[in-house]
Amino acid sequence: MAITTRSYKSGSIVYMEGDKSETIYILKSGRVVLTTKKVEDKTWVEEKVHVKPGEFFGVKSALGRYPRDETAQTLGDTTVLVLSLADFEKMILQNINVVKKMLRVFSNQLRRIGKTVREVLGEGDTINPEVELFKLGEYYFKMERAQQAMYAYKKYLDYYPDSKYASMAKERLQKIKSGDFGSGGTVPDFSQPAAPPPGVSDEDMTDFSIEEESAPAPQPEAGGARSPLAGEMDDFLSENKSGDMLDDFTFDEPGASQADNVSQDINEIFYEGMRLFAAGQYEEAVELYNRIINSKSLQGESEKKTFEKAHFELGRCQYKLGKFNEALGTLSGLIKKFPNSMMVKSALLYIGMIFEDLKNFDKAVTYYSKVMSMEPKDQTNKDAQNRLMKIQNSQGRR
Amino acid sequence: MTMLIDNPIFDKFMVEYAPNELIFCEFEPGNEFYIIQTGRVKIVKIVNNNEKTLDVLKAGDIFGEMAILEEQPRSASAIAMEQCKILKFHRDNFDALIQGNPQMAYKLLVIFSKRIYDAKRRLMILLLEEPQLKVMDVLIMLAESDPHIDMQGPITLRCNIQEVANWAGMQISDVQKILTHFNSTGKIELFNDRIHVKNIRDFQRIVNSRRKSA
Repeated sequence: MAITTRSYKSGSIVYMEGDKSETIYILKSGRVVLTTKKVEDKTWVEEKVHVKPGEFFGVKSALGRYPRDETAQTLGDTTVLVLSLADFEKMILQNINVVKKMLRVFSNQLRRIGKTVREVLGEGDTINPEVELFKLGEYYFKMERAQQAMYAYKKYLDYYPDSKYASMAKERLQKIKSGDFGSGGTVPDFSQPAAPPPGVSDEDMTDFSIEEESAPAPQPEAGGARSPLAGEMDDFLSENKSGDMLDDFTFDEPGASQADNVSQDINEIFYEGMRLFAAGQYEEAVELYNRIINSKSLQGESEKKTFEKAHFELGRCQYKLGKFNEALGTLSGLIKKFPNSMMVKSALLYIGMIFEDLKNFDKAVTYYSKVMSMEPKDQTNKDAQNRLMKIQNSQGRR
Repeated sequence: MTMLIDNPIFDKFMVEYAPNELIFCEFEPGNEFYIIQTGRVKIVKIVNNNEKTLDVLKAGDIFGEMAILEEQPRSASAIAMEQCKILKFHRDNFDALIQGNPQMAYKLLVIFSKRIYDAKRRLMILLLEEPQLKVMDVLIMLAESDPHIDMQGPITLRCNIQEVANWAGMQISDVQKILTHFNSTGKIELFNDRIHVKNIRDFQRIVNSRRKSA
């Protein structure tokens, strides 16, 4: 072991906040004050902690291999022991009580910080684990993952047997079980577990979802190998909801089984489009955004957003390609279809830019002014303002 | 440093899990912590109606360690990825356990150190006022946490918009808007599984100047 001793004059810095180091110290004699920040009322306030002789400091940042999050300064002439991580490990492994004490201190800190994080996120009392546990079961139920759904429902009933959703959880469990025991012999013998006859009801569609998972098919969630039942569901949807799909989406439909796959695809297509856009490959990006916009099976909030944004990105690509009319059509379509979308302001900015490029400065100014007046005031507002000022300057010079 | 406990005393704590079996689930009260002996376990969380994998753990890893402190709802679910043998300890057995296994206690110290830093760092992000700064600071944090990254030049961060949104405590749509903007102004290049940042030092300067004035 090569533990060394180091002496400091009063007021010396042992280490600074932000330093990266794997050194750990023990205060031998003198005084060290640690200056750190803590959160009070959602703002950072300085906190000073005095190290007592015999105590470790610099432990957490060294162990966690993170930058120092405090500054250590001496008060009065001070001597410290300097340990490498290996020294520290050897030393404390021989003294388990020190480790226990540290664990206690660390765990208290962690608990305090965790509490502050939840407060800042506004999650203090709003999350009710009881309801959330049931919702977790519902998620896995919807996703046709029988095993996970059963676990969550059972735990829910164990911990909250008399609660609000208890009877519903029992019902769900029953459904999952009847799927499991379908071939057990006690049920009437329908011999062929074939696809249901055409024209099955809506309810049947949602209920058999679990069966699919509990069947011994090795990869039920693999995108390519969809069961004939899932294929029928697609047909079922398209039969009943033809035509005005675009204006008439219902998101988060219960029982729709392929949410996961589609969602990933759509988001992936979207990011790929953004990558192409960034690389200047606008034609290729247009193709991808059109695919998203023409997609007929959107699920969930995130896809809805992606769908909205695909309109904006498409308009932006068309603009870059100089297809101003198409871009105008796409962007104004976005504003009409999603008047409350986050993208409306950006769409208005681009419409302004189109008019500017078309030398229709009056209209450009109108659009830029509109953007500038919109909340929240952000970079888009500034962009609009800059463009507006440029137009006004160049017109002033004429 | 392994945490494979080869001691028959612990046999009674050994539990076997089948592939896909839930070891515990999100929001379930937690009283036990676990040490994997064989097999892999994934830690997942449902975020915006998608199951998201936070981590994949292997033999020797500890999880559920927050239960050592007190009973708290689990913040994520643990699912066996294959046949697993796992030691399962109740909080009450903790003292006895580390008495005979100081290595484990040391490993827990490391885990807690990291968690504390992560939580503090996250607070720094969350307490920034402007959404743009939060997003920038998440990127900075991700860069800091990768020891192989040289902050002087252009960098590549392995992350997607969802992760950035989680860290920033923001809606994905808002984060997407900001990242798209950074993308279009050439500050970053956005891919589906990674983000290139041209000059992370610029972001640091901006965020630090705002943090001080706050």
